[in-house]
Amino acid sequence: MSAAVEITNLKYRYHDGTEALRGVSLRILPGECVALLGPNGSGKSTLLLHLNGILPEKLPANGMVKILGAPITSENLETIRRQVGLVFQDPDDQLFCPTVQEDVAFGPQQLGLAEAEVAMRVDKSLAQAGLAGFGGRSTHHLSHGEKRRVCLAGVLACEPAILILDEPTSDLDPRGRREFKVLLRQIPATKLIATHDLELAVELCARTVVLDRGEIVADGATKELLNDEALMLAHGLERPHILRHTHPH
Amino acid sequence: MHIPDGFIDGKTAAAAAVISTIGVGLALRQVKRELPPRRVPLLGLSAAFLFAAQMVNFPVAGGTSGHLVGGTLVAALLGPSAAVVVVTTVLIVQCFLFQDGGVMALGANVFNMAIVNSVIGYAIYRMLCHWLSGIRGQVTALAFAAWCATVLAAISCAGQLAWSGTIPWSVAFPAMTTVHMFIGVGEGLISAMVFLAVSRARPDLITETTQTGQPQRLGELMRYGLLVTLGIAIFIAPFACSWPDGLDSVAEKFGFSHKLAVPLLPAPAPDYQVPGIHWAIGATALAGAAGSLIVFGLALLLGRWLVPRQSGSASDHLPNP
Amino acid sequence: MSANWLSHHHSHADSPIHRLPAALKLGVALMIIVVTVLAPIRWNAWFIGVASLLVLAMLLSRLSPIFLLKRLLVLSPFVLGVVVVNAFQPAGRANWLAVAVKSVLCLLVVTLVSNTTPFSRILRVLKSTRVPALLITTIALMHRYLFVLVDESERMRRARASRTFTRGRRFHWRTLATVVGQLFIRASERAERIYDAMCARGWK
Repeated sequence: MSAAVEITNLKYRYHDGTEALRGVSLRILPGECVALLGPNGSGKSTLLLHLNGILPEKLPANGMVKILGAPITSENLETIRRQVGLVFQDPDDQLFCPTVQEDVAFGPQQLGLAEAEVAMRVDKSLAQAGLAGFGGRSTHHLSHGEKRRVCLAGVLACEPAILILDEPTSDLDPRGRREFKVLLRQIPATKLIATHDLELAVELCARTVVLDRGEIVADGATKELLNDEALMLAHGLERPHILRHTHPH
Repeated sequence: MHIPDGFIDGKTAAAAAVISTIGVGLALRQVKRELPPRRVPLLGLSAAFLFAAQMVNFPVAGGTSGHLVGGTLVAALLGPSAAVVVVTTVLIVQCFLFQDGGVMALGANVFNMAIVNSVIGYAIYRMLCHWLSGIRGQVTALAFAAWCATVLAAISCAGQLAWSGTIPWSVAFPAMTTVHMFIGVGEGLISAMVFLAVSRARPDLITETTQTGQPQRLGELMRYGLLVTLGIAIFIAPFACSWPDGLDSVAEKFGFSHKLAVPLLPAPAPDYQVPGIHWAIGATALAGAAGSLIVFGLALLLGRWLVPRQSGSASDHLPNP
Repeated sequence: MSANWLSHHHSHADSPIHRLPAALKLGVALMIIVVTVLAPIRWNAWFIGVASLLVLAMLLSRLSPIFLLKRLLVLSPFVLGVVVVNAFQPAGRANWLAVAVKSVLCLLVVTLVSNTTPFSRILRVLKSTRVPALLITTIALMHRYLFVLVDESERMRRARASRTFTRGRRFHWRTLATVVGQLFIRASERAERIYDAMCARGWK
């Protein structure tokens, strides 16, 4: 089976010369749900931004990034961004339109779809995100959880094959986190989720990749990796409580 | 300085609206031409920044506090045309959302605060940066330029009020100018300090630099200059020269004043009998000239105080990751 | 959450006035303002008529009259200034009355429209006129992020105030200038992330 996402020896340096990514290689198959864990500053967000061509500033990348078999170049950015939906870390960065309706419609409109089709997709994505009827609301009046869901709806409206999320449940209260997890579970796309929420990783993602200081240090079954206390602690993480109680060692 | 509706009459509002529309149109065209797509959201965000910054109270004395207006600061950070667009945006939102400034008066407010303030402030800033070098020079230049811009915008505002007959020139000019010569000091101080803070932390964000090799902007400034001159000719010049008064009294003496169907120049507001008032105008003009020298001196001292040693140009500061 | 007066929640309430189309409200408001400013003060009928219409609209809109009166306070220093100056004028009385009446009426018109119409609708009306797209985008983004930045500046000031133990004004100014500087930096960085988010959803 050809990979949905294929990264080969990806390297990237910040402006001041620090190495952010030091030869990352990763293969994600269609339909997989992969968690990307790692301490702060490990390069998770930087890695994600390479998957829809926002980084590096000058394409092509140092290394190879292939989406659905095609390497990302400056010519095929449009197609790549149709296939890869990225939900950013700060919902305020992504929700730049005045109303929910307009924001969710942004993606489909940029795709050049007809008005009727756009409206249909907006309704469908809002329903998917549990926000039916929110169309007329002002984006700056929403609660944090609602903002995160509108961001998800906005990306879903583009119907991407691959869904990438950067810390989707941070700053959410427990109920918000639960509701978001339910939402994510129902989305059939290939998923890559960068997160600090170890329980989300256990509940949703069969596979986990650990990134530390720009390198992949572990890649395997979630429960196995997260149960490895030594590994977790060595990379700024920890063994989640949810595993402590279900697998008494 | 936001003029509410009803304080300027139809002709003043119309004249200002026409000039401002041309000015903002020029600015938009220039911005589209030179701003890379990556920076387009920065315009809106800078407008939001300016609004938020204006809410920060800088304590002065007793219960009073100073605020930043910011046209010159934004011009020093992003260029004059971007500043015109940014300040215009702030004024439009302030007018509609917070009723700060009238709808019909928008043209006048945009002319004073977006065009005169930003463009003249920028021109003075660039001119001074030619002669004063390094970050200290930029800080000094900005402080003085922001002060000048504030005073000039106030004079323009006074002219508009006078031409509308709301307040006579002989009161508006001294009052607005003197008050803003003091307010301008705060503006200059705050603008300089904020500019310094930004250039120390993230100089790469300042898209407008005074290094050689940057666009000279001469043509751009000249186009604005023409507009500003036009505005001055309409709003200020009639008051700056005294012979319309002379003409009035001559006409009266010879009994044909009421036959003047159309005044040759817009007449200043209702005739004044209070003695010494023309003296006030002259005194203010003199104070303005003296004040400029004093403020420039203060600006030099400010530069020396804020930037302890001659640290060369802004590019000496490395960007922090 | 941001200061109450910024919240502008009034525009999302419901009333007969709220339900009127935005274009109609803006058009009527503009017409009233233009005629009011141009009308000579002796046109009593016009001013009384407009005042009555506004009172009716205020009642129908269910906006708090106290809120509306507070908005009028914005005008008071200006009107006071004009009154004082014109007190020394031969034709003074008519002048200051004209200014006061006109400015109050115009301000009430704008307050009513702005507080019964969501800003996004006002933007839509502007979009349909010949206002350039770049300006509309800038206004839209300013409105969207206005509250975000004000919140950020509030948080920064509070954090700074919590660590300010001296009462020196000089130190205070330096601190505030740093806060404002930081605000610009954060605004710029956010602007770049917004650009990335726009590109991620296909913006060209």
